[in-house]
Amino acid sequence: MDCMSLLGFGACSPDPEFRARLPFPVYDIDRDAIPPLLRRRSSQATQMAFSAATLACTQAQRSAATLPSVFASVAGEIRTTDQLCTELVRPDGVISPSVFHNSVQNTAAGYWTIAQQCLQPAAALAAGADTFAMALLEAWCQLACLGGELLLVGYDESLPKYLAPGLAEPAFACALVLAAGAVEGRILQIGRPRPGAEAFPPDWQSLVADRPVLSAIPLLGLAASGAEAQNIPVSPLTSGWQVKISPP
Amino acid sequence: MTKPLPIPPVAVTAYQCVSAAGDDVEALYNSLIANRSCLQPLRLFDIPFKTVVGEVATPLPHIRAGLKAYDCRNARLALKALNQGRFRTDVERAIADYGSLRVGLVLGTSTSGIYDSENAYAHLLSHGIMPGDFHFLQIQTAQATAEFLHHELKLQGPCYGISTACSSSAKALGAAQRLIAADFCDAVLVAGVDSLCRLTLRGFHSLQLISQEACRPMDANRRGINIGEGSALLLLERQSAANAACLRLLSVGESSDAHHMSAPHPQGAGAALAMAHALRLAGRDLNDVDYINLHATASTLNDLSEAKAIAGLFPNPPPCSGVKGLLGHTLGAAGAVETIVSLLALERGFLPGTCGLAQADPDCPCPVIVAPRLERAPKLVLSNAFGFGGNNASVLLEAA
Repeated sequence: MDCMSLLGFGACSPDPEFRARLPFPVYDIDRDAIPPLLRRRSSQATQMAFSAATLACTQAQRSAATLPSVFASVAGEIRTTDQLCTELVRPDGVISPSVFHNSVQNTAAGYWTIAQQCLQPAAALAAGADTFAMALLEAWCQLACLGGELLLVGYDESLPKYLAPGLAEPAFACALVLAAGAVEGRILQIGRPRPGAEAFPPDWQSLVADRPVLSAIPLLGLAASGAEAQNIPVSPLTSGWQVKISPP
Repeated sequence: MTKPLPIPPVAVTAYQCVSAAGDDVEALYNSLIANRSCLQPLRLFDIPFKTVVGEVATPLPHIRAGLKAYDCRNARLALKALNQGRFRTDVERAIADYGSLRVGLVLGTSTSGIYDSENAYAHLLSHGIMPGDFHFLQIQTAQATAEFLHHELKLQGPCYGISTACSSSAKALGAAQRLIAADFCDAVLVAGVDSLCRLTLRGFHSLQLISQEACRPMDANRRGINIGEGSALLLLERQSAANAACLRLLSVGESSDAHHMSAPHPQGAGAALAMAHALRLAGRDLNDVDYINLHATASTLNDLSEAKAIAGLFPNPPPCSGVKGLLGHTLGAAGAVETIVSLLALERGFLPGTCGLAQADPDCPCPVIVAPRLERAPKLVLSNAFGFGGNNASVLLEAA
């Protein structure tokens, strides 16, 4: 496989000021993207992931039921986990069964497959600063080995400051529908991920270092604006991972 | 000439396991042959109900000074497995053979270092701040112990954690095989590590899934699961003449139930898809499988679902058994721990039994064996791991 095709993308953040700073369309959480039974009981993380994934599938004109998925998040369902950890300090703390099963890292992935009636594999991964890069790598490996198309979702909700002060904000999710090789209807071609020295623009570097899910910003910016072929970073680490982006 | 497989098999050139059965694979093998439960009352912390667990009771090693930020029970369990037998030497040999940039690491875990986070929260609630030695990214997040091993071994290849509850480390094996197939790596260290913690003990208790007594997989009178902990490490390498005599990972079949967050599909449809997918990826037939290592948690619904999946998929199901009555359910580590159980069966020529099974459930229509069979040497084995979110993985392994 020489490249992946980007067929559709979407981005979500509940923070209007942050949305206004981004060089591509970003939307608030879309309640209609979340099944009614889940609306009240799902986390910000899951709601953002659903919102971004729905936008990407709509733009790509693909049915979510047919797409394997890779969900990537540094901290997963951290607010739910935080709630549980607080209760667990007390011997008589209240542990709700649904809060417990909604604390797993693959909560968003699990509910997505249930809501979409998707029988395809769903992965949930984390890689700290390299989370978005490793999600792209996992996507590349799946497409290179098995062909077809898949959905990649990167997301991180806001988290309590006492856990990791710099990591706390902003909440953000993005989603990409990717296909193996150069296929019709592509927005961009994405080359093979590789280690490299590409760096983020200075005004983004420190924010991306704190919030690795924002590593998708250059890729999403080029998807929205179109551009000449270029290498872009997908990880805030020095000597991190990069990909070559080419116009369709 | 047959069509080449989309994902070539990989050699399993080394494996090690720390579990309730003991500190290495020899202890695990002895426990499998004795088929005697290693489940004991919980010692690590207090819980407000009665159960038994698969606890690693022997001392854990200290994390070196330069990597103290990663210090947690999960990392210590991982380090303990790394230090057993020749495992570390085998990884160092792979680094020398391929270069550190070409050796990757994929961890499967469900709760990472959250046992230590729980202790930190006690400090938070009494002092208003987290303790100074709490490092969220290096302890609690799903790749934390992967990063620890990466630094400990000075690897430079891709490194990430997969966290899909109880299928985590089975899926990590699949991701590792693809990293080699897509030529990002020549070798990948796969780690399945999960420690006991209050979150899972009390969480599964809230779901009314914890058994007070030692669990009884596939038994008509099963009463739920026991939680265990463990650390299972496997070194996967691209096939070559040098490793032709090693056991092989052929494929990992994956699927989603699309049914319920914490209950399996009643007919095991997703589980059957995962097993069928594993066989299809490897170009093997149902009749080739001569043992299935069951997920068999001993929860009423899970065992029923898995048995129906097997009965529905296999016209003549092979012998099946599950080992959670020995070790407990090691959650995110279970896929890797039980892959190692299956590798021992292939390498040493026996079928494990099902400790705790006394009276087979007539509603579970698959041939579950009770006692180990020492006269049966399997050649092709499926090992199942199913998790919350209806997340399924089935690992297909072959003798050398």
